[in-house]
Amino acid sequence: MTQPFISVHNLSKRYGGRQVLHDVTFEAYRGEILGIVGRNGMGKTTTVEIVQGLRDRDGGQVDVAGHDPAHDRSALREVVGAQLQSCALPDRMRVDEALRVFTRLAGDVVDWRELREQWGLTQLGRSAYGGLSGGERQRLFIALALANRPRVVFLDELTQGLDPVARQDTWRLVRQVRDRGATVVLVTHDMEEAHLLCDRVVLLHQGRVSAVGTPRELAAGVCGGVRISFSAQPVDLSGIESVPGVATVRHDGTTAEVTGSAVAAVTVAAELARRGLAPHDYDVHRPGLAEAFLLLTTPPANESETVTPQVGAR
Amino acid sequence: MSTRLSTSTSTVRAPQATWILAVAEMRLMTREWAAMVFAFAFPVLLMLILAGVFGTEPSEEYGGATPDDYYVADYVAVPLGALALIGLPVMVAGYRERGVLRRFASAGVPVGVVLAAQALVTVVLVVLGATAVLAVAAPVYGVPAIQRPGMVLVGLALGTVVMLGIGLVLGMLARTTRSAQALGLLAFFPMWLLGAGGPPRAVMPEPMQVVSDVLPLGRVSAAIRESWLGTSSIGADLTALLAWLLIVGVLTVLARRRLR
Repeated sequence: MTQPFISVHNLSKRYGGRQVLHDVTFEAYRGEILGIVGRNGMGKTTTVEIVQGLRDRDGGQVDVAGHDPAHDRSALREVVGAQLQSCALPDRMRVDEALRVFTRLAGDVVDWRELREQWGLTQLGRSAYGGLSGGERQRLFIALALANRPRVVFLDELTQGLDPVARQDTWRLVRQVRDRGATVVLVTHDMEEAHLLCDRVVLLHQGRVSAVGTPRELAAGVCGGVRISFSAQPVDLSGIESVPGVATVRHDGTTAEVTGSAVAAVTVAAELARRGLAPHDYDVHRPGLAEAFLLLTTPPANESETVTPQVGAR
Repeated sequence: MSTRLSTSTSTVRAPQATWILAVAEMRLMTREWAAMVFAFAFPVLLMLILAGVFGTEPSEEYGGATPDDYYVADYVAVPLGALALIGLPVMVAGYRERGVLRRFASAGVPVGVVLAAQALVTVVLVVLGATAVLAVAAPVYGVPAIQRPGMVLVGLALGTVVMLGIGLVLGMLARTTRSAQALGLLAFFPMWLLGAGGPPRAVMPEPMQVVSDVLPLGRVSAAIRESWLGTSSIGADLTALLAWLLIVGVLTVLARRRLR
């Protein structure tokens, strides 16, 4: 990849005596959706607010498109668009008015009617903000975040409280924002959302970066491999444990469960085929980001199972 | 790395942003009359009642003016009190509570600009409220002639700045809309009764006179009324208002930190 569009290096922040960010380091590149993920209260919002220049930092370096957010706030305003958490508009403000006000505030670099058209808000033009559904509000907020034709857009907990259909719609819009060339920094605690939507994720835990990578890399790296299940007779499975990639084989009489590295998905299938078996319910489960996240952030208190994270903070 | 955008398409400056927001707010106001009924109806009603009750004979207690003239001139300042002490804090606290301030901040509009726009809208409403008092008084009691128009304007302008400042501070201090409303009512009623629209200062016992002198809204209404009717000089009132301006300035800076 080329030069990072955003680079954050050893960022630290204290509230009162409490250290909320420790040496947070990550980069975002042009045209990607970067997820800042973690549980609530782990420093996600603080991080993006510092990067946007809405909060001061206590230490470290931040660079957004060549600007330091702590010093070049007005320059940054032209580059950055944002939808912050728990925001609202006046209830009686209409969609058209909001679009007009925000494009005017941004110096009319975008035609508000174009924005309305692009984000499917034309039908809602005369509706008041107070009467919009959750999904419609987020659509409006994404449009407003683009009123200054930003090169990076920060979206904080965008789909919180939305129904599944509205969530899917919102994800589609976020991909559209990226496809139009902007970098998207998405803050979320929803691992499914991060897995499906983000090109890369930065996992924040207790104010530190505990992992960075693509969702697949993290899931595979942390959880290691796959879990395969299918129905079979015990007699069919003798010798399966020596197939390349297989780690464990368990059988409860009707169903077999095989774990192993990613390659096992193919080698076990090939071995079954060689034996003339074709179980119709052959199922390969690849761990998702959610599982990786749990493993990385749950203290290893369970004596029985201890998993050592394999993915470092870089 | 040529990552810097040209500055020719820069976002708008603070005064222009204030104006854009104030215009939008005015438009919203036209749809929110219910919230404004108190600020407009209360002064008009009370003016009608008090000017009617105390009659049309010149009286020492009213500084030699007739009670009806006294109350008509007096109530010019009451909409200012109601709007600045109740309307403005509720608006500011509501915007903060609901995240409207954050929404504008994320578009690069500083909190100060949003507050300035709300203050500007309040000024427009104050002018409308005072006009309503005079418009209703005219056919009923008549509007007394303005003796010192320049001083009326000075009193009105200085009083508006002081009262808006107090309203903004209350709005910034209140955590919720409800507490803003409670604080506003608590500030408004004593100020109204003891200075701007209640019994004339001359009939009060001395301790109440002292309280009345301290409260800023009484000073505003006195400055306007006395120059309107030409009954006495307003030097002491303007001095007191300047002192209030200083206090409000300090409080604004302190309260502003809470919004950070």
